[in-house]
Amino acid sequence: MTVADSAVSVTPSRDWNRLGVSAGKNTETWTLDGDQLNDVTFYGGIAAGKPLIKERSKKKEPLPKFTKDTLIVEVPELLESTYRAYKQIGTFSVASTEPAEFLGHEGVRFTYTYTDSDNLPRKGEASAAIIKGSLYMMTFDAPRLYYFDQAVGDFRALVKSAILT
Amino acid sequence: MRRAGAMVAGALAAVLAGPAMAEVAPPPPPYVGAYQPQGVDEIGLWREFDESERRLAASELVIRDEKLNAYVRHVLCDTVGTDRCKAVRVYIMREPTFNANMSSNGTMRVFSGLLLRMRSEAELGAILGHEFGHYEQRHGLKLFKARRTGTDLLAWSALLASMAPSYNVRRSYADVQLSVYGNLFRYSRDNEREADRLGVGYLNTSKLRPQAASAVWQNLMAEIEASSRSKGLSKPRFNAIAFTASHPPEGERALTMAALADPDGASRDDGADRYREAMAHWLPIFLDDQIKLNDFGASDYLIQSLAASGWTAPLWFARGELYRLRGQQRDLVNAAEFYESAIRLDTALADAHRGLGLSLIKTGRPTDGQAALRKYLELKPEASDAAMIRMMLTKEGVTN
Repeated sequence: MTVADSAVSVTPSRDWNRLGVSAGKNTETWTLDGDQLNDVTFYGGIAAGKPLIKERSKKKEPLPKFTKDTLIVEVPELLESTYRAYKQIGTFSVASTEPAEFLGHEGVRFTYTYTDSDNLPRKGEASAAIIKGSLYMMTFDAPRLYYFDQAVGDFRALVKSAILT
Repeated sequence: MRRAGAMVAGALAAVLAGPAMAEVAPPPPPYVGAYQPQGVDEIGLWREFDESERRLAASELVIRDEKLNAYVRHVLCDTVGTDRCKAVRVYIMREPTFNANMSSNGTMRVFSGLLLRMRSEAELGAILGHEFGHYEQRHGLKLFKARRTGTDLLAWSALLASMAPSYNVRRSYADVQLSVYGNLFRYSRDNEREADRLGVGYLNTSKLRPQAASAVWQNLMAEIEASSRSKGLSKPRFNAIAFTASHPPEGERALTMAALADPDGASRDDGADRYREAMAHWLPIFLDDQIKLNDFGASDYLIQSLAASGWTAPLWFARGELYRLRGQQRDLVNAAEFYESAIRLDTALADAHRGLGLSLIKTGRPTDGQAALRKYLELKPEASDAAMIRMMLTKEGVTN
């Protein structure tokens, strides 16, 4: 099934709930128990010059943009800065970054941790690739305690099943 | 009793200083010591603060670095005096906003964004003393009583937010919570004047330079203006910063502060060197937090004003990161220059080589870029993105 109004298609190995609200154009969010407990977000081809998610205010609270020059190794920084600016937090760190194939292209897989205003430490994992000048990415965020380890396998299965149609 | 003697001496000095002293903030009144809440409102309010402090004590957002905590506490004690500072528990929060507050049960929160913006012990003392002034006069309670209807709004929005489907709604509830509490504790001009007078009064009787208080306000307003300018806003948004949202800034405030300061204190040490030394380890970390907020104007202003006492490798590096993050072509050329300046001052700054390499690759100089990236890996072989960078070195020409 295709996701995020894009050419990305995944084959889920179990039932997921799709949220009716999305974080921005070309994104879609899935969850098992509610998006605060496990949140899979698909970014289906962010075009150059666009932010990853919808800005609350283009002028007053701009978010960092994906540009035509953004290198794949800079994608973790882009996500970090987006989270920090959107949530106004100072606790976000990228834990590991490694080359990994995504959607059949050379891409990056990275992990991160952060704590936002609800004071609950979260872990995240993401896979991304830049294909024909657009950014494709899947992220998984869940509380560090129990929920991350519980569903990260399902997320990895989703990433593995993702193809570009 | 010795303390009271010191107070009298301070008062005498103030009296002897001559006619210009009519404006100068008087020394603070004798401290009454531990206070217990009175009446149903205050007892309820304290209970809520105690509960919130319990959560705070276990929070991931608190910086537990022993040295930094001891230092901030030491500056507070230097400012308000040792007997007053016994009433305070200081928590340093890793939050990149200019903010500090103190609740009436003696919990003081100091945000890392405040520590990044202060230039000396005297400036930090000015803000902490100001907050302590609100606390000593129990302004919070007076406001709370005056505007308690706000809390009904919180109860309703909590209920509605819990019914809403998305995390973002909850986030905006957190915003409502902040803004309602913000309005609840938006100090009136009279309260502010009183806290200004007390705050500068503490500084007047301390060893620190009281004139620093007005510098804090001038710098903060200049930063907000710089941020608004780079966003192309016609009017500076003073309510965009938590601290100025609850402490209304006014143009004449800096002047008032300057007048309240004891002129005899002008020659005193403001502890700028000690402050820089204590922050040396944390400054690059707090700067990085600030840059990644994507507020270009404010970050650039901050870096420039920190550099007023001399450019250092971490400052050049931070500026490089700021420009590379914005990432327009002209920014990348500038970023490469800034990274090079950082490397000139400190060749072992691994991340500067990384930033330089990436900026050069993006501006069409892949060979030089790869050389810089090699240097980065040499200096930091265990870097978390080493495998990614290594891959960029094996390619002939680097493409996206």
